Amino acid sequence: MTTDGAGPLVELDGLKLYFPIKSGIVLDRHVGDVRAVDDVTLTIRRGETLGLVGESGCGKSTVGRTILRLYKPTGGRVVFDGRDITSLGESELRPLRRRMQMVFQDPFASLNPRHSVGRIVGEPLRTHGLAGRRDAASRVRELLVTVGLPADAATRYPHEFSGGQRQRIGLARALAVNPDFVVADEPVSALDVSIQAQIINLLERLQEEFELTYLFIAHDLAVVRHISDRIAVMYLGTVVEVSTAEALYDEPLHPYTISLLSAVPIPDPVVEREREAILLAGDVPSPANPPPACRFHTRCPYVQPTRCRDEVPRLRNLTSGHEVACHWAEDIRDGRVKPHEVEPVFDPGMPEPVPEPPPV
Amino acid sequence: MSVAELEAHEVALEAATGGLWRDAFRRLVRNPAAILGFALVAIFIVAAAFAPLLAPYAPKEQNLLLVARGCCPGPSHKHWLGVDQLGRDVYSRILYGARFSLIIGIVSVSIGLSVGLVLGSIAGYVGGFVDTLIMRCMDVMLAIPGLLFAIGIVAILNPGLYQIMIAIGVVNVPIFARLLRGSVLAQRENDFVLAARAVGVRRPVILFSHILPNAISPVIVQGTLAMATAIIDVAGLGFLGLGPQDPATPEWGTMLTDVNDYLQSAPFLAIVPGIAIVISVLGFNLIGDGLREALDPKLRGRVGRFRERKAFWFLGRRAASRA
Repeated sequence: MTTDGAGPLVELDGLKLYFPIKSGIVLDRHVGDVRAVDDVTLTIRRGETLGLVGESGCGKSTVGRTILRLYKPTGGRVVFDGRDITSLGESELRPLRRRMQMVFQDPFASLNPRHSVGRIVGEPLRTHGLAGRRDAASRVRELLVTVGLPADAATRYPHEFSGGQRQRIGLARALAVNPDFVVADEPVSALDVSIQAQIINLLERLQEEFELTYLFIAHDLAVVRHISDRIAVMYLGTVVEVSTAEALYDEPLHPYTISLLSAVPIPDPVVEREREAILLAGDVPSPANPPPACRFHTRCPYVQPTRCRDEVPRLRNLTSGHEVACHWAEDIRDGRVKPHEVEPVFDPGMPEPVPEPPPV
Repeated sequence: MSVAELEAHEVALEAATGGLWRDAFRRLVRNPAAILGFALVAIFIVAAAFAPLLAPYAPKEQNLLLVARGCCPGPSHKHWLGVDQLGRDVYSRILYGARFSLIIGIVSVSIGLSVGLVLGSIAGYVGGFVDTLIMRCMDVMLAIPGLLFAIGIVAILNPGLYQIMIAIGVVNVPIFARLLRGSVLAQRENDFVLAARAVGVRRPVILFSHILPNAISPVIVQGTLAMATAIIDVAGLGFLGLGPQDPATPEWGTMLTDVNDYLQSAPFLAIVPGIAIVISVLGFNLIGDGLREALDPKLRGRVGRFRERKAFWFLGRRAASRA
């Protein structure tokens, strides 16, 4: 069933992806799971850019890769353009791969060093039988020009290009099949700031030109704010807040988002001096053994004696289009709950001082 | 232009367009040790290929008159490397012997490489139970010392030329399989493999066009080094009497066995085949080492001028004045 034009392009419903932890010398025993993605529900609308932010290891790349079905979800559903693709096989997915593509973080690892640029960019065309031999060559040149590279780059090899140029090659590869949906997995975080701007602008131009829908994964809040229509914030495998970009930055509701944004410097010395950054206590807990109930309660500066430790907060609509997964969001917003010091959990502490033995 | 600019220009010229294979080839031909290796191997191959043209006598041609006055007359203008206990020309026999070593080396390494390549890439790419099964079998094979294993196989198959090829080939299988499995495992997790999957490239195509070309370098190196070991193993099996069963066969290892009794009176009979073995093995080893350096991704873009100077230390002054 395809419902072109109507409804969201991508829907995630209670998506779970656990990586098994195995141990044993001869036989692998299943001893636990890394819960990279745990119960994520998200929708991505046609033509929008959804930013996905969070710390390293919070599962944001895994979400992107699971949407493209590079991983098989442990639970939940992935719906692409009205079609449930959760359990499709490799061959059933192949026609869909024409419609969803990916741009990778590391421009050095994501291009095969043994293939010429023409071969890399032309591979999607060959795989999907989109162009004959001669057409493919001219289409590759066209794509290279579209992403701002010289057409003769096709005969050269990836190691002859800089990081920004390589990222453009990766973009050209993604665009070759004329996709509807592109997962951009931290496409600029490996680049210099000046190059970052170029790639961001290119991404925006291409979105207009080809009517693309982006899932833009990043940890740089400024970049995400610039490019995104809506933003989802992830913490330890769960989505804690979803809202439009302006609303999220103007009025963050989840304690995690509040502390994240408080860490972003503001380019105004007067404001900056007045402001106080919220420093989170402790480290991110292990996704193999996440805290029960609200996953943020071990570090939350707003943590309350009730509910936080024994009730899983659901993502709920607070104001229109602004969803947050916190029991106390209204009270935090209205100032009834104040931040307070949190004792860091699992602090190894300093070892007992041992008296130095007297010199002999 | 400043020195730095000149250097940058020079580097840019040297890093002219071309794939990584071409880069590697460029590095290889600038490595004098590898060139020496190629020269030695070339001598070896020419000797094997043109033995009938180069050899003044037939390899099995006996002339007992030459040894009538005791064994054995040394080198002379008629017999450059002397004659053996049956009056056969050693020079001719060495040339013909190169054929055996070369053919056995190539065939046995091909057997080991192709079987090992298939098993290793299946184990690495498919993973899971298949991987465990294949690799544990390889571990069992690796647990037995190479030459001993080969002797065992020849003992089962009966001594002979083809049996030696198979035996040495089988000994090489686990070495190649393990090497390739590791390489494939490392490449499989690469982003460009994930990118190919995201594009929808079929699994076999990913293996053959993305993973193997990047995983094959250590196998090429191992292949040349395995040629060297194969030649030694052939000679070893020949020496132990497991080679070609016709005692007149000019196989280097067999030749060494035959002259056991004459080591004191005519040591050159043992030294000459020994040197032949050393030259061919050294040649393949030098090529293998050169390839290892040329294909090393860490040296990518470097030309190795330092090494060039070091390798030519015995030419001293010339190299120094160039620097």
